Amino acid sequence: MNLDKEQLRKALVSLSIERTLLKMGEPVYEKVIKQLSREYHCYLPDCYEHPEYLNNVLKTVFGNSYISIVEAIKKELDGQLMEQPIEIFIRAISE
Amino acid sequence: MQNNFEKLQEQKSLFLCLLISGLGILVATFFGKEVVKMVTDFTYIIVSGMLVVLSIIISARFRSTGNHGKAWLLFFGIAISWFIAETTWVVYELIYNQNPFPSSADAFYLLGYPFLFLFSTQYLKPFKKSISKKMIISTSIIAVSVLIPNLYMTLDNNSSESKLAITLGAIYPVADAIVLIPAMIGIVLFFRGEVNFLWTLLLIGILFEVIADTGFQYFTLDNSYYTGHPIDILFIWSYIMFSFGIYSHTQIFKKVKSVKHKNLFDSKLEN
Repeated sequence: MNLDKEQLRKALVSLSIERTLLKMGEPVYEKVIKQLSREYHCYLPDCYEHPEYLNNVLKTVFGNSYISIVEAIKKELDGQLMEQPIEIFIRAISE
Repeated sequence: MQNNFEKLQEQKSLFLCLLISGLGILVATFFGKEVVKMVTDFTYIIVSGMLVVLSIIISARFRSTGNHGKAWLLFFGIAISWFIAETTWVVYELIYNQNPFPSSADAFYLLGYPFLFLFSTQYLKPFKKSISKKMIISTSIIAVSVLIPNLYMTLDNNSSESKLAITLGAIYPVADAIVLIPAMIGIVLFFRGEVNFLWTLLLIGILFEVIADTGFQYFTLDNSYYTGHPIDILFIWSYIMFSFGIYSHTQIFKKVKSVKHKNLFDSKLEN
């Protein structure tokens, strides 16, 4: 399979969100997935292109403390933060 | 997401439960102390039993996965401790016709508090970065201030009650104040979020406990407490608040029927 860099970033971001949410509990992960699907008809990997969707879902479920989840996702992506598209993604979900 | 109608329905049921339990005890009072004792004791068993059932449901849903899964297992610890405590109280009072305070029931009531504190800290753990020192200090000040009436009452009494009863009566509000701190932090953290409903009900439930424990201490020192005293309504209401809080959580995190977990590579393979 020949994957370009952008696809790899997308996979990495998706995996980081998944790991962060699963650390909180499987139902938390399922809730976010369900909400993304119901409200925006999108899947977790699509959040890379539409970080605002994830931002809204996290705010809806966890209110003010969504920022802690963003921090945890950021930590998961630690080694990749130098890459500009990932930095843009993090900035967008932090808003 | 729960729609507004469902939320309203949920709150209607909550108010109805509070009204029925409160009125039930007040009406039973008119039939004498023995009747109100029976009604109150059985109400305690029902409401604490409901809390056990709901905590089993939510623990089974989270299957001890992640921080929240562990938190709900700890909540099950609270529910089971308090259910055993209520059952022990009823057995002492209705079967052995003994005064249940102080008794072994208190050991189980008190055991619930470390579980409640650990539940809160485990639940809030993933959000610890959002908890500021200022938040901890201000919630601690509020918690200490709710303790003042109780401490005053304990130190300034000339009751004939045993030292053990007075000390135990004073320990409860202290334990309430301790668990009040993470509950208040939870409200601030999850402000505007769906999970805030649980924390709001937990906080109100704990506040009911604070007032009820202070009242219990006051009326015990006064020798005017009996099971079915209006102060018991607040204890029962706190169980109802806790139960509805968990129920709201089971609704927020209910099992997804068919959500496709699309893999990134699916689209690649499709192409």
